[in-house]
Amino acid sequence: MSSFFAQSMMPIISWSLIAPEVIICIAAVVVMLVDAFARPTQRWISGGISMAGLIIAAIATVFLWANGTASSDAFNGMIVLDELRLGFTLIFLLVAGLTLLISTVWVHGEQLPAGEFHSLLLFATVGMMFMASGNDLVIIFLGLEILSIATYVMAGFRRTDVRSNESSLKYFILGSFSSAFLLYGIALVYGATSIAEPGPDGSFSRIVAGTTNIAEIASRIGQAQYPALLYAGAAMMLVGFGFKIATAPFHIWTPDVYEGAPTPVTAFMAAGPKAAGFASFIRVFVFGLPFVVSASGAVNGNLHQAWVNTLVVMAVLTMTLGNVVAIVQNNVKRMLAYSSIAHAGYALVGFVAAGAATDPTQRNNAITAVVFYLLTYAVMNIGAFAVVQVIARSGDRRTAIEDYRGIGFESPVLAFSLSLFMLSLLGMPLTAGFMGKIMVFGAAIDQKYYGLVIVGVLNSAVSAYYYLRLIIVMFFGERTMAWSAPRIPASVALALVITVLGVLYLGIFPGRVINGLQTKIDSQIFTEDFSRKGAKDAK
Amino acid sequence: MPNLLTILILLPVAGALVLVLYSFVSSRREEHYRWLALIATVATFAVSLLLLRGAGVSGAEFRFEENVSWIGAIGARYHLAVDGASLWLVLLTTLLMPIAILSSWTSIRKRQLSYYAFLLILEAAMIGVFVSLDLLLFYLFFEASLIPMFFLIGIWGGERRIYAAVKFFIYTAVGSLLMLVGIIAIYFIYRSFDYPTLLQAMTASPLTPRAEYWLFLAFALAFFIKVPLFPFHTWLPDAHTEAPTAGSVILAGVLLKLGTYGLLRFNLALFPNASRNWAPVIITLAIIGIIYGALVAMVQPDVKRLVAYSSVSHMGFVVLGLFSFTELGMQGALYQMLNHGVSTGALFLFVGFIYERRHTRMISEFGGLAKPMPWFSTLFVIASLSSIGLPFLNGFVGEFLILIGMWTSTAVSWSWIATMLATTGVIWAAVYMLWMLQRVVFGPVTNDENARLSDLNNRETVLLLPLLFLMLFMGVYPRVFLDRSRASVETIRARVNASPAGGSYTTAVRQD
Repeated sequence: MSSFFAQSMMPIISWSLIAPEVIICIAAVVVMLVDAFARPTQRWISGGISMAGLIIAAIATVFLWANGTASSDAFNGMIVLDELRLGFTLIFLLVAGLTLLISTVWVHGEQLPAGEFHSLLLFATVGMMFMASGNDLVIIFLGLEILSIATYVMAGFRRTDVRSNESSLKYFILGSFSSAFLLYGIALVYGATSIAEPGPDGSFSRIVAGTTNIAEIASRIGQAQYPALLYAGAAMMLVGFGFKIATAPFHIWTPDVYEGAPTPVTAFMAAGPKAAGFASFIRVFVFGLPFVVSASGAVNGNLHQAWVNTLVVMAVLTMTLGNVVAIVQNNVKRMLAYSSIAHAGYALVGFVAAGAATDPTQRNNAITAVVFYLLTYAVMNIGAFAVVQVIARSGDRRTAIEDYRGIGFESPVLAFSLSLFMLSLLGMPLTAGFMGKIMVFGAAIDQKYYGLVIVGVLNSAVSAYYYLRLIIVMFFGERTMAWSAPRIPASVALALVITVLGVLYLGIFPGRVINGLQTKIDSQIFTEDFSRKGAKDAK
Repeated sequence: MPNLLTILILLPVAGALVLVLYSFVSSRREEHYRWLALIATVATFAVSLLLLRGAGVSGAEFRFEENVSWIGAIGARYHLAVDGASLWLVLLTTLLMPIAILSSWTSIRKRQLSYYAFLLILEAAMIGVFVSLDLLLFYLFFEASLIPMFFLIGIWGGERRIYAAVKFFIYTAVGSLLMLVGIIAIYFIYRSFDYPTLLQAMTASPLTPRAEYWLFLAFALAFFIKVPLFPFHTWLPDAHTEAPTAGSVILAGVLLKLGTYGLLRFNLALFPNASRNWAPVIITLAIIGIIYGALVAMVQPDVKRLVAYSSVSHMGFVVLGLFSFTELGMQGALYQMLNHGVSTGALFLFVGFIYERRHTRMISEFGGLAKPMPWFSTLFVIASLSSIGLPFLNGFVGEFLILIGMWTSTAVSWSWIATMLATTGVIWAAVYMLWMLQRVVFGPVTNDENARLSDLNNRETVLLLPLLFLMLFMGVYPRVFLDRSRASVETIRARVNASPAGGSYTTAVRQD
């Protein structure tokens, strides 16, 4: 048996490099098993197991980070170990953990099957983690599908509620559509990256099959056989990712899905899958389609320039549309949905900077900025949805902005926390949102995108109107209807403490976190060097 | 005393925390909040007096400096210090806060905990603005001061408070966001947010004229809106009128100075060439503001709105002085900032007193207040005269210095015309103030409700005394203040007049 293994072609497998993903998978399976056999009174166990799984996975991630091995990839280069991945993985675990905290009471209150919800949440997390760790378009697509299918179900989790059903169905249909775009794009890129290799006599004789490995793609785009296919493939993938991170003009699904989905699920969707989308979007475009000077240089310079310019347009559209439409919303969840679109736009500003940077240090700084931005967004956004969920009560009944009228001094803890999150989303100083904006706008200014940044800050000014509106309604208005302050469940209180302190910590002392992400991502240059070297060698 | 400035910033914050903690005490009483707030602000004022031992005593150097790394990754530093230019503004802030709290003593009945906590946080932010030497840190405090003021206007303000609060917030936020772009752009040119480092770097390698032009505008817009310079002033009458009395006092007394201080500290020092190029436009706008503010003030039916528009006029003088680029003009501008804080702050207090008694601020509702309220009327007249700029009172010194400075200025070739036009502002001030006094204080008691009004009580007298003392003292002995600020202001003026790239401008008058 062992001799058979030794003789067959064994790819390099380093199981330890996907330890966090494996741990979450095991936890998800255990949750399903336990839930099947547990008595209904012991349902809380599934939440406990899930949390334990997330914490152990986080420890494993930190361990990987601290003991980064020399070999930075596994499974024949399909899985990458770099700090872009690890940074995002920690964000996903944080998002999943916070979602778990704010959903526990909701699941119980609505008489929903806790085990199913928790295992779906864990599987979605695994999907996101693979999206960040995949160095191969196939892995990224697999991760995306694991994530998507789990979230389709989660969005429709309140089966008896029509809005929840609508949300799920819309998300499913449009999501499948976008997945198809992505897959088609992957296929085209695969076709485009087949290259002709010199035969033994020096003439071009052998056609090598295409590739889905991102580093390989980067090294081959300089001599791609069918440049037009590359363009088409890149455009298709842009649409697929653009959908996942909800950028204009691929954002249409967002408000309906966010409004209809149960609030904890919305919190998760706005923070997690968006970050995951960015993780693979950055990896595919920044590392897979870099600026390459090659024999047929013009083509590839153009490809790089084309997607960067497209992203600039998308960023402007996304920020402006998200903020302007958010102004007229009367439902808090819908308003936050448009705000999430706008925030995808701000993050795209940093992404543009990462794409446009030709110097590895500047590019890494820009990527750090985007990762940091998505971290801050995850913290403040989940915090905001935690408050929205408590105020909405069971069945998400009270989500209109009018439901918040005059509650400021009736439940000061909720109202002041929500105000803090609104100010943070607005980007006021001393909050995480401010530092996030400084980072992404700074990265863009470093690349001389002054116009883009000015559009960005003017958009922030526009957004003041609707973020402040909630504060105004809560504090400046007088309560007209009877209102009893809702009780804050312990787990939600814990989530609120974490997010409030997180917003303040990231806003006042972001240095340590930025430094952590910064120094780590620097070693990503290795992959970059590899791809560039590959390009040169091929030349 | 090491870390004196950090202590100054954190004392009010600690006070706010104590207030919040006290709210969890089961035997708490509403009226204790104001005492706690008063203790915190008086303590802050007492500590701030220690600054007098160092700042501005010898030359322009920064004193009480604290300089540690804040966000290493982007090179932002926690760099605090005071010099002659910021010393008096810090003291003005710490002096006005206890007064503002005393003025709210009985007028604020609802949500006292939040009210005093917001006031204390506001104080910390304002002190932070004046002592920050790191651009990012400065911006952070500059913006942070918006939030408590937004709540103060929005929760405890008058009838149109929501409109006023939102207008105030959005106007100021738009301006400062563009400044943020400017700050980041400077960072990527010089790789530093640190003010002294930037000054050196800019001397060594000046900005390109184009960059300087745009950066000047980005900073100036934020400060012009804050000042507010005509035509960016429209948020001010609403915010001042709707804010609670203490809010108006702080808004006029300190928050407007964040703008003029920013112009002096950052615009003039960092972008000297652009400052000179823009001076004619800005002087024109300042003069329009002086005259327009005064004329509009004249026809206001509401006393508070009248005082608010007089602020537009007074702040026009400050900007005029700053952009005269003369020693007298710039020193006068700094002095006028203090004067305006003292006089206009006092005027808003008087307006608050009669509003608390009558619940109206309409001039037509009053008349002959001198009879039922002799003390009130006497002091009100003194404060008004100080605002007009009567000799022996503080307003005169500031405006006189600014006008002389402008007359001798070479910033524009038509400085004598500018001076003459600006001087009419003083006359207009006399017109609108005296006319208002005539209708409110003097004459027969036309409304029966006014006949039974009670005069100032002890608390109101006590909180006015420091301001009235300052009006007199600053009017007769300005040297104490001007000596301390001279060296710092001169350093900035030297940069404007003899900047690396230019130098064609020379000082017109040297006064020793």
